[in-house]
Amino acid sequence: MQRSAGMLVAMGVLACSTAFALHWSGWIPVWVFAAIVVLAFPPTVLGLFLWWMADEGEEDIPFIGY
Amino acid sequence: MIAELVLATLFGLLLLGIHRKVIARIQRRPGPPVWQEILHAAKFSFKTTWVPATASRVLFIGIVLVAIGIWTAAFFVMMTGGSLLVIFGIYMLHKIVEHAFGLSSGSPYGKFGGVRSVISAASEIPLFVSVAAIALFTGSLTLSDIIAWQEVHGPLLIIAFPAAIAMYLVLLSKMPFGPFSIVEAKELVSGYKTEHFGVWRAGLEVCNGLKTTVLLATFLLLFVGQLPLLWMVIGMVIITVSLSFACALTPMLSPFDSVTIQSLFTGVMLVYAGIVFLGVAA
Repeated sequence: MQRSAGMLVAMGVLACSTAFALHWSGWIPVWVFAAIVVLAFPPTVLGLFLWWMADEGEEDIPFIGY
Repeated sequence: MIAELVLATLFGLLLLGIHRKVIARIQRRPGPPVWQEILHAAKFSFKTTWVPATASRVLFIGIVLVAIGIWTAAFFVMMTGGSLLVIFGIYMLHKIVEHAFGLSSGSPYGKFGGVRSVISAASEIPLFVSVAAIALFTGSLTLSDIIAWQEVHGPLLIIAFPAAIAMYLVLLSKMPFGPFSIVEAKELVSGYKTEHFGVWRAGLEVCNGLKTTVLLATFLLLFVGQLPLLWMVIGMVIITVSLSFACALTPMLSPFDSVTIQSLFTGVMLVYAGIVFLGVAA
């Protein structure tokens, strides 16, 4: 899990940085830059959290009513 | 703009912390430190995490990504002075996201929270009327045009005061511990987010931080106009504190009463929009 999460973060950061660089140099319009960040930012954030979280636990059954 | 996105998230969490602190002080409790919500997000992100056995795995995880994604999009629309309809379309989408959060877990508390988020969609109806009134005055639904219109004619807060009140009510319905916070009522544990813990809850906190910043900044841009950054920050803190007073001094309404009050307010706003329309048409 930690390895895949790390890969996800690396890809997300790479996508956001590339989009920023391309937008800054005038290669892509702002909406393309925004679209890339909108797609890349959420998995990057979750990937980062999954990368540094404590060990993965066993799945359980929550309270499902009486 | 990526740095701004991260700062906006942290600032939104700080505002939610200020909200909790002000409510606590009004209720004569010490309350948590103002940065508690930032610590909350960090704390959840470090916790051991898994997906409950009863959950739909794809929806359970995917909805957290969607929640962060839609408010990231709203942030970009706001920053680029884009369409107001897109921002409020995303606001509407958030209701569906809350619903999906609740249904994905397989827990009855989550499901009831999800169902209540659909019921509380009544809070969006005053928003439509508010948007219509703004469009009637300014002749545009683009944020940059509305800001430019206010530079010539003055702030909409004075010109279209009832519309500002309607949107303020919408902001109030989005704040935790408020009179319309029926989706997170204590009888439902934590409502739609009951089973989203650990990393998933940290993701939801990121979404909440971003959402708070976007909604408060949009309110200021719509009804006061473009302000220097420092004044934007001060304005957002003032609105947060006023919302905290409203939340601390008002009991949480039952779902039926919540919808009734919001529907009544919508009726009043419809009359107002009708008057504005007739005035504009004349």
